[in-house]
Amino acid sequence: MELETVRQIRGAKELVEEAVDAAAARISEVQRVMTRKPYAVLALVTPIAVPLRAIEEAHLHIVDGVYFAIRLGNRLAGLMAGYALDRLEARARGKPAR
Amino acid sequence: MVDSRGKSSGFPAWGATATSILNGCIGDCLTDRVRGLAIDMAFYGRGKRLTSTADSLRAEWGVPTGKLCVLLDDLCCHEGFWNYPDDPARSYGSALRDDLGYTPLFLGDNTGLSIPYSGKSLDMLLEELLLACPEPVDEIILVGHSMGGLVIRGACHYGAERDAPWVRLVSRAFYLGTPHEGAMLEKVAHLMTSVLRAVPHPVAALVGDVAGRRSQGVKDLRDGTTVQAADFSDAVPWLASAQHYLIAGTVTEDPEHLAARLFGDGLVHPPRAGDNVRLFPGLGHMDLAHDEAVYGQIRTWCAST
Repeated sequence: MELETVRQIRGAKELVEEAVDAAAARISEVQRVMTRKPYAVLALVTPIAVPLRAIEEAHLHIVDGVYFAIRLGNRLAGLMAGYALDRLEARARGKPAR
Repeated sequence: MVDSRGKSSGFPAWGATATSILNGCIGDCLTDRVRGLAIDMAFYGRGKRLTSTADSLRAEWGVPTGKLCVLLDDLCCHEGFWNYPDDPARSYGSALRDDLGYTPLFLGDNTGLSIPYSGKSLDMLLEELLLACPEPVDEIILVGHSMGGLVIRGACHYGAERDAPWVRLVSRAFYLGTPHEGAMLEKVAHLMTSVLRAVPHPVAALVGDVAGRRSQGVKDLRDGTTVQAADFSDAVPWLASAQHYLIAGTVTEDPEHLAARLFGDGLVHPPRAGDNVRLFPGLGHMDLAHDEAVYGQIRTWCAST
């Protein structure tokens, strides 16, 4: 594989990685805002306000956890792809891979 | 860098097209953060990237002529878009070489960068080219399709401002479907983005934010920006030493048809009638880059004194 092709594939990998990370971060924010809305309405009912807050916090932690897992998985996949591309690049340059 | 139709780099042809589209849509972001896919501005001849050295140019051109023809493509396009769909070996560049002896140079660039920035880069690139040319250059003609025409005007402005030698050699500039007064589609996109951002709903704001990430090159099309406001606040004058020719199309055969009045050539409205203006009814925006009738008009104007 030519060096130029490896460079382009690396660029595509970085773009996908950046896009997934940015999208996950932004959608997470939006989901947090939307998640809070029904809880804010229900919290007006005084007897359930205290347990509701605990449920809301747990819900938000789950939401955050899901997006954290997506971003972490994305970064790990990016690292592995980067490692594979390093080997391809080394081969294209005619040097032994580290 | 992706070369014309991606032949020599081993990158597939669809890859060159996809990279060009990506550069047009988010090219400024690519330059800042993802260098691997950003297209650097360079000239191409016969599908190969040209380096600005005399030996390289002589090897490419063989016997060079003193007449250069520089062709700039549209947003999201690469130099392969100049080729006729039914005859990929033919383009305005190759036809002008065969008929009138112009040496064609196709510019490939990151069309997502701001138009004034691209204009400045082209100004520098033309200077380098002139210095590297193995034979003295007598004449340069510039052909710009859509956004390419705005880049030409920007380059001429910046070149004329510093009295660059290449500017004095420009005899003619052709603008094919160039939005000198702004592109309607980008005006609509700007309005939609503003509305979405103003809607008090997180999903609408998110969509508005994503739409707002479109490249500066696309945003510059809204008003047909050719130079930075800080550099020149008045309307940018056309290069006085050159002849300027405007070519436009319409989506319908009847230029007075409502659809033609509303949508122009599909993306850009035709300019007002004038001596150096030629309208091709029924010719869409992208077709302006590879149509025999358009070429015939360009050749006629080039051959005129």
